[in-house]
Amino acid sequence: MLLRASGQPDQKDYDLNSVTDGHIDPGVDFGHWLRSLTEAAIRNRWDDLATIRDQAGAAMGTQSMVDALVVASGFNGITRVADATGIPLDENTQQMTVDMRESTGIERFNYAEKSDRFDFVTT
Amino acid sequence: MYEHTSYPLREGLIEAHEKVWESIAEPGPFWTGTERIAMVVESRAATSCRLCAKRRQALSPYAVDGVHDNETDLDAVIVDMIHRVRSDPGRITRNMFDQVMAAGITPEHYIEIVGVVNSSVIIDTLHAALGLSLAELPTPQPDAPTGQPRANVTDGGAWVPIAVGNERPGMINGLSNNREPNIARSMGLVPSAVELFFTAFRPHYALQNIPLDLKQSQAEFIASRVSALNQCFY
Repeated sequence: MLLRASGQPDQKDYDLNSVTDGHIDPGVDFGHWLRSLTEAAIRNRWDDLATIRDQAGAAMGTQSMVDALVVASGFNGITRVADATGIPLDENTQQMTVDMRESTGIERFNYAEKSDRFDFVTT
Repeated sequence: MYEHTSYPLREGLIEAHEKVWESIAEPGPFWTGTERIAMVVESRAATSCRLCAKRRQALSPYAVDGVHDNETDLDAVIVDMIHRVRSDPGRITRNMFDQVMAAGITPEHYIEIVGVVNSSVIIDTLHAALGLSLAELPTPQPDAPTGQPRANVTDGGAWVPIAVGNERPGMINGLSNNREPNIARSMGLVPSAVELFFTAFRPHYALQNIPLDLKQSQAEFIASRVSALNQCFY
């Protein structure tokens, strides 16, 4: 959702499916390294991340590499605030992203669908 | 904090994290400093908890009963809540929230926990991501919870009442019209939890003109990828 909004001022097209599909190139600069850093940090793959930090830092610069981890760590917290409070989408986002949520699979993360999938499983 | 890293971190981020760390050790409106530090201890314990690991492997985390590898005296329902938030946030459902409420925990108490735990998640994640040992926990400050005036909240469709809006602009950098997004209103039941969390979060992101060595589109990709990995709808 945010990626599409930021793509407009850049006059560039980004592939939004890259958000939910780890094999798709997002089209942003150093997208491969941003993905590798983010996934290792969020999935607690600390040993892998040591190597990725070195390689990503050499490719994109140390400050950019660190800042990528700064953004990832911030969102590792704020997503949990959303998940723990059941906060709904903002009204304009809700209206603007209907198709995108369906096409990327993000709609599966909505609270009602999660309840359907997880609350009544007993085995 | 961060004194043992050679990586370039901005002074404002370090100062913000240090301020948050000290604040967590102080009494909050509904919990003591000792209890708030215990919340961070449990959040860390969740990353190696055997029950949490079993639940992550299960089709549904609510189908697996057991006892957490807890390290504090916090009530079992609170330990369970913290471990779920830390270890499997993408599969939290209203069911978990309702179970906490059914145990007699008030929404205000719940929100303060959410604020403390997730502030610490930001700080712990950055430490680990940079290859640093987790920050030493501060010494809890004495005294009873402070209490708070009744918050100005409304039913915004979340599990808890949320801030009416536009009362505390600036929680997220880069909003052009001081419009508060729902995420900034979500902990409005406990204004000090809003302040605590967004003090930790604010140096990590801006909605425009991001003051980091990244293009806005790069930051949005990272943010969106984290949301997807954590199965976050918002």
